[in-house]
Amino acid sequence: MNETDQKLLQGLRELAAEGPRDAPAELEARLVGEFRKRAQARRRNVLLGVGTAAIAAALALTVIRPALLQHAPAAQVSPQADDAALDFYPLPDSEELPPLESATIVRVQLPMASLRLMGLPVSEEGAADLVEADMLLGQDGMARGVRFVE
Amino acid sequence: MSIDGDQQLLRQISRGDESAFVAFYRRHQGPVYRFALQMSGQVEIAEEVTQDVFMVVMKSGSKYDSARGSVAAYLYGIARNFVLRKLDQERPYLTTLDDPESEYADVAADGPDTLAELTRNERMESLRKAVLALPPTYREVVVLCDLHELDYAEAANALDCAIGTVRSRLHRARALLSEKMRADERCAV
Repeated sequence: MNETDQKLLQGLRELAAEGPRDAPAELEARLVGEFRKRAQARRRNVLLGVGTAAIAAALALTVIRPALLQHAPAAQVSPQADDAALDFYPLPDSEELPPLESATIVRVQLPMASLRLMGLPVSEEGAADLVEADMLLGQDGMARGVRFVE
Repeated sequence: MSIDGDQQLLRQISRGDESAFVAFYRRHQGPVYRFALQMSGQVEIAEEVTQDVFMVVMKSGSKYDSARGSVAAYLYGIARNFVLRKLDQERPYLTTLDDPESEYADVAADGPDTLAELTRNERMESLRKAVLALPPTYREVVVLCDLHELDYAEAANALDCAIGTVRSRLHRARALLSEKMRADERCAV
């Protein structure tokens, strides 16, 4: 290596040490704001999916197979909605919904990954598996809570 | 942090864990930002590229595959694509090098007013311009291998090319820079 090459490498080392080391602080704030927006939208979409699945299951039970419904314990209206709600794990953002007056319980199958929404640990391997759960729907058809069936 | 640690953070990010995103961002933003700045010479591009890179992490970071290289190489690879796209859009980019508002210009102007320091600053400025004047394919290997001290394998991962290609481009890039330095020295005399 000749003198010019050595000077060049020395110069590049000095150049590497110069200049700003970090991105401006406001960039982090901007990205975190974007992350929050996306996380909220994602939660809303999952809830919408869960609610839609529950409603679809309810429709299947009440419209498509009315005869079965007569004997099925899966969908029932409770006069004591508040008591029914006690057994259920509240869904994120459900506290923003109107108070529960009457409830319908619908048994559905959910992907294991949805347990993460409730803060429960789910391994990557089992995330796609299905789990049986009872969905608690309010008088407005919106899902309020979930209870996992053993 | 180990690859496993980064991978764990990426998994948590994909589940919407904000603290994991902040931890990951703080760990990796510096090199990504500096890479974009050293490649473009423009603070605006560096900021935009850094933002774009971490938006990709937010949206599809869980797709990162550790078998294909380190997280750093993965991030450099994304940053490199964004930088090249922006440089293509914003030609001729070299005109910004003499911009007195640039961050580099501030650093140079703030230094002690001694002859030695001025000479050094001039030398650094000249070298910085020479790096920025290199064709992008040579510039990126100099930035990754000489300024960010990546080994050839990591640089090859980031640039999605063979290790031999990195080695030959770096050899050629250094030859071009040496040539430029010799020419500058002749002019100074």
